[in-house]
Amino acid sequence: MELRYYIIRRFLILIPTLFGLVLLTFILLRAIPTSDLIASFISQKATAQERVIEKQQAIAYLGLNQPLPVQFLYYLNDIIHGNLGVMYTSFYTGPVMGGIERFLPYTLELSIATVILSILIAIPLGTYIGARPNSPSDAIGRIFSLGVYAMPIFWLALLAQIIFGKNIGIFGSYGLPISGEGYPTTTKVPWIVNNVSEPTHMLFVDALLHGNLTIAYSAFIHLILPVGVLTLSILAGLLRFIRAGMVDTANQEFVKTARAKGVPEKLVLRRHVRKNALLPSVTVIGLLMAGLLGGVVVIEYVFQLRGMGRLTLATITGLNIQFYGVAGTVLFFGIILMITNLIVDVVYAFLDPRIRY
Amino acid sequence: MQSTISIFKRSGVQKKRRPKVEDFQATMKLVLKNKVSLTGLIITSVYFILALMDYVYPQYLGAGPGVVTSMLRFNGGFLGQGFPSGPTLAKGWWYYLGTTYANIPLFPAILSALYIDLGYSLMIVLSGAVIGILIGTFSAYYGGFWDELMMRITDIFYSIPFLIMAIAFTTILSYSLAKAHAPINGFSLIAIALIIIWWPTYARLTRSITLSVKSSRFIEAAIASGSSKVRNVFTHVIPNVLSPVFVQISLDLGSIVLIFATVEYLGLGSVIKVTQYTPELGELISAGQTYLPVGIWWPVFVPGIFLLIFTVGVNILGDGMRDVLDPKMRR
Repeated sequence: MELRYYIIRRFLILIPTLFGLVLLTFILLRAIPTSDLIASFISQKATAQERVIEKQQAIAYLGLNQPLPVQFLYYLNDIIHGNLGVMYTSFYTGPVMGGIERFLPYTLELSIATVILSILIAIPLGTYIGARPNSPSDAIGRIFSLGVYAMPIFWLALLAQIIFGKNIGIFGSYGLPISGEGYPTTTKVPWIVNNVSEPTHMLFVDALLHGNLTIAYSAFIHLILPVGVLTLSILAGLLRFIRAGMVDTANQEFVKTARAKGVPEKLVLRRHVRKNALLPSVTVIGLLMAGLLGGVVVIEYVFQLRGMGRLTLATITGLNIQFYGVAGTVLFFGIILMITNLIVDVVYAFLDPRIRY
Repeated sequence: MQSTISIFKRSGVQKKRRPKVEDFQATMKLVLKNKVSLTGLIITSVYFILALMDYVYPQYLGAGPGVVTSMLRFNGGFLGQGFPSGPTLAKGWWYYLGTTYANIPLFPAILSALYIDLGYSLMIVLSGAVIGILIGTFSAYYGGFWDELMMRITDIFYSIPFLIMAIAFTTILSYSLAKAHAPINGFSLIAIALIIIWWPTYARLTRSITLSVKSSRFIEAAIASGSSKVRNVFTHVIPNVLSPVFVQISLDLGSIVLIFATVEYLGLGSVIKVTQYTPELGELISAGQTYLPVGIWWPVFVPGIFLLIFTVGVNILGDGMRDVLDPKMRR
């Protein structure tokens, strides 16, 4: 099959899944009592008369006087137009889509740094360990993977805070950036307005863009601990996978041929084994992304960072649950993961023509 | 795998044949030959025994839910009376690991937390496995539309990060159940939410095995002798599916304990009003975290270590069992 057709088929599979995801969030929204759903549309300060009007507006908007399938169409229409509803929390108030726009960049900064760091560490380390199966270094790698895999990530983050934040004090106390939560509110910098830095909303990148090295340095220092913990948690799975791939490939016939014809051992490892062993690792990235997006929520909570994870948790904190916030974030994370998996599949099909059938 | 076969052969010579029991004994023998898996088994059993002991004899070991509640009242409630103290030998063995917030001794609190953690995690994994096996085998055996529908549903569940889904389901469930005044506690609620999102793993696993079993000769023979579809699934397909599922359960138990603790740490399911305070490991860590800035680290460190050792033990045991029961999966 040509790559073109494979990509088209892969896209077509995406559609029912996407539809199902929207259906799932719709079911979540309808699982709560309808009166509470309507109440979330009524403003606190409204008078009795206004309340009646707002209630009727909400019923009309949700299509509650119509059968469930039609209500779903109303919801679908909203989603297609990018309207995920509104949320009111102390963390963020406004449309959910706007919240995602505002808090996603920080999470992206965190995830991108984590992915880059973990790949930089995992590939050389994995090939080193995979080239020496059942050696002491392999045993150490195995114990490390098992230990980190078995560790609750929030506990790891807390330990990192205790050790590095408090006692050594290199990375700022408890990972809190310069002042306030996440952004330097007291620092008078023209490109930081209302706690949001311009233009990319990523503090480190923005500081570099504006040439403010002091803030860039501070932002970098405060990224180290969260990124380090996330990287550790991802590294365990990645190392295991690369090692397994190396061991599998090393037993194949073409490696024996290469050795038999006298290719130096270093070259065999680099050109024949590693290249083929790293190929399947592309598929793990989809799985890792799922773990990363879950881990980001916990890490942002522990380090009190302002990103998507905190936005997700803000929607459910306390008794004041923001239903549209919950549904919107679930939908958003689902779509991100779906797109990642799509890209991974297409890239893998491009790299390895054997799987397009 | 030469040794497995030889053990099976040897056991076949005995007078009274009980194949299922002999199979189990043979696998356990192989698992226990490996020292690492033996360690895993010992760790896991010690944890389960501790958890059960705390339930059976709350007055001797551990605190039990009621005892902790009375201690809270005695000490003047949460975060009321001063700081937790470090490990002391003078006050008796309850205090060997120090105290956590409200001066509750940490050791008995952890013991009763183990009962909650292990019990609910086991319940989640087992119920998820039962639901997953039923849905997976039946949909794969009947094939066609049902199979396709099941695959699409699992696709949806796989397309959302697990923790996010756990957060969403727990919240919505707890809210609607609290509104309906359902007699349910926060732990069972989280357990229900986690079961809802955990079964697809088992459904996918059993589906792939069922598809390969379906075309084998003994199923053909069963059909030829007039056995119905439902009977085929229960008597021929499910027994073949069980051993990989068993391996998966032992591997999953560790991650479910971690997820359960994480969800509790994040403070979910708190809409349900708690009448009786029951400690849970994630919750203990979350409570001890308050004192981190003052330099008090043991309320955070000690429960985490308990969690870590358990997950390591379960994972080692699961790896060992996988090597014996399912050599194809070994890497």
